[in-house]
Amino acid sequence: MTTHTAIAPPSTTMTTPVERDRMPQRRRRRLDLHRTLASVIVTLIVIVQVYPLAWLFLTSLRTEQDFASGNPFALPTELTLDNYARAFATGNLGLNIVNSLVVTLGANLFIVLLGMMAAYAIQVLGFRLSRVVRALFLIGIIVPVQIALVPLFIDYSSVNLLDTYLSMIIPLAGFALPMSVYLFSSFYEYIPRETYEAASIDGAGPYRIFGQITFPLSVNTIVTIVLVNSIFIWNDFIFANTFVLSDELKTIPLGLQNYIGAMGNVDWTATFAAVCITITPLLLVFLVLNKAMIYGLESGATKG
Amino acid sequence: MSSTMLPNRSKTSVLVFLLPPLLLYGIAVLFPIVQSLFLSFFSWDGITDLRFVGFDNYARMFVGDDVFWTAFSNSLGYLVICLVLQLGGALVVASLLISLRRGRELVKTLYLLPAVISTVAIAFLFQRIYSLEPTGLLNQLLQWVGLGELQQAWLSNVDTVLAAVSIPEGWRFTGLYMLIIYAALLAVPQELEEAARLDGANWWQVFTKIRFPYIRPVWITTTIIAATYALRGFDIPYLLTNGGPGQASELLTTYMYKTAFTHTDYGYASTISVFIVVECLIAVGLIILLLRRKADA
Repeated sequence: MTTHTAIAPPSTTMTTPVERDRMPQRRRRRLDLHRTLASVIVTLIVIVQVYPLAWLFLTSLRTEQDFASGNPFALPTELTLDNYARAFATGNLGLNIVNSLVVTLGANLFIVLLGMMAAYAIQVLGFRLSRVVRALFLIGIIVPVQIALVPLFIDYSSVNLLDTYLSMIIPLAGFALPMSVYLFSSFYEYIPRETYEAASIDGAGPYRIFGQITFPLSVNTIVTIVLVNSIFIWNDFIFANTFVLSDELKTIPLGLQNYIGAMGNVDWTATFAAVCITITPLLLVFLVLNKAMIYGLESGATKG
Repeated sequence: MSSTMLPNRSKTSVLVFLLPPLLLYGIAVLFPIVQSLFLSFFSWDGITDLRFVGFDNYARMFVGDDVFWTAFSNSLGYLVICLVLQLGGALVVASLLISLRRGRELVKTLYLLPAVISTVAIAFLFQRIYSLEPTGLLNQLLQWVGLGELQQAWLSNVDTVLAAVSIPEGWRFTGLYMLIIYAALLAVPQELEEAARLDGANWWQVFTKIRFPYIRPVWITTTIIAATYALRGFDIPYLLTNGGPGQASELLTTYMYKTAFTHTDYGYASTISVFIVVECLIAVGLIILLLRRKADA
């Protein structure tokens, strides 16, 4: 996208001809300067923001000697995929990725389904204490997750839930539910009353209306909620680290951490290769769907 | 007020839709809050019987525990650094982005990229960036710009470690807040700004008199989100330094975690976690109070 600036003729890059005619010469030049300065600063900030990631990726392609001796800013002398082979051979990456998938899908299912149900009950069905219940959910947005660690650890051990998928899914979904309820109910406010009245007259009950009207209309909100939550859940460290002990259930963050210990002496290039492998699924989804996500974040944030 | 949109819905249908979400929310969030409050009045190691100790844990926390106060002031430092990087950085980049003609989408995507990466990976990354031996990115950069004498092991120095563990957290989410503020800035009516400029207002006046008042509600929400997230920050300090060296980067959250799961002192850990919740509530109250009052003045 930025390459366009170089291709476009200099006279039209910054302002349209119509604007040019209306503006006095000096002001126009100052505005151009302003814009150029802005793009230079933005470019610099973006480089600082993205450079560490580029470096991470480059390091995963370096040979070990190159990494150990080299200047961290230098380009790799030769590219190698050995690190990736070692990353797969040493760790348990495949299993970690499967576990992360199970937890992410499970938690998202609860977040979306239960979030829609609560918002439907509060916003569409309505009941006497609906405002109280809404407020109760809203409080959850600012409650720090740490409050639940000790109680859940104790509760899990008394009902044998420690070291299960569910032990991660329950708090991950529970703490994300308030935001989900909030986003769905602010969206349901905009569905016109007439839509429901027409369906009611046709004899549809609350269950059919939920399935045939409310749910299909919610698809955009669902996409936003799933995308944003997936980032947090895929990368969750604190719940997994607290409630999961066995290697078979370890998610990606735990797998990565384990990795280093298992090798004793840290094999950085292989570790960075492992990091690259585990980032990839989420990164692909993010890059493909980032328009939808950015749109959702922007509208979700400004509506409230 | 809370009138229904469906005249012939039954009471049962409300319960069918409301109970499952309330059940999950209750198990995961509400009940643990009550449990923590309860446990904070007991002494318990998880094995022997619960022993009621009244307000002893609170007395110990406020009067008898230096580590708690160190962790508390570290948490405030962590909060300030995160807020400056996330909100300050977000506001600057969003304002600059507004004035760009092209490449906005690309910048948004790239800027958001670090948010996708797990804290464990980020901890690895910054361990290398701060490294002194072999020379990491930061120390190499210092040498290049002629500040070689500043080279040091950033994570082992008690004076720099708190900033060193806070910066990655600020770095990774600034893109998220930038998007939110950018969207708010887009909604500021252009006519207003143009009119002010024609009246000779400079960019600072345009910003303080028009743009900022316009985005104030979004700014309050964003500040609340960023502050409560910074106060619950845990992963990166825990993974990078585990609170060390000494207690130089110990946050309330890492201290609470160690008290619970290393020392199995569940009662006292619950007391600290109750404090973390209260601290978040106070922070939210203060933010609303401060930013609203300015609006009235």
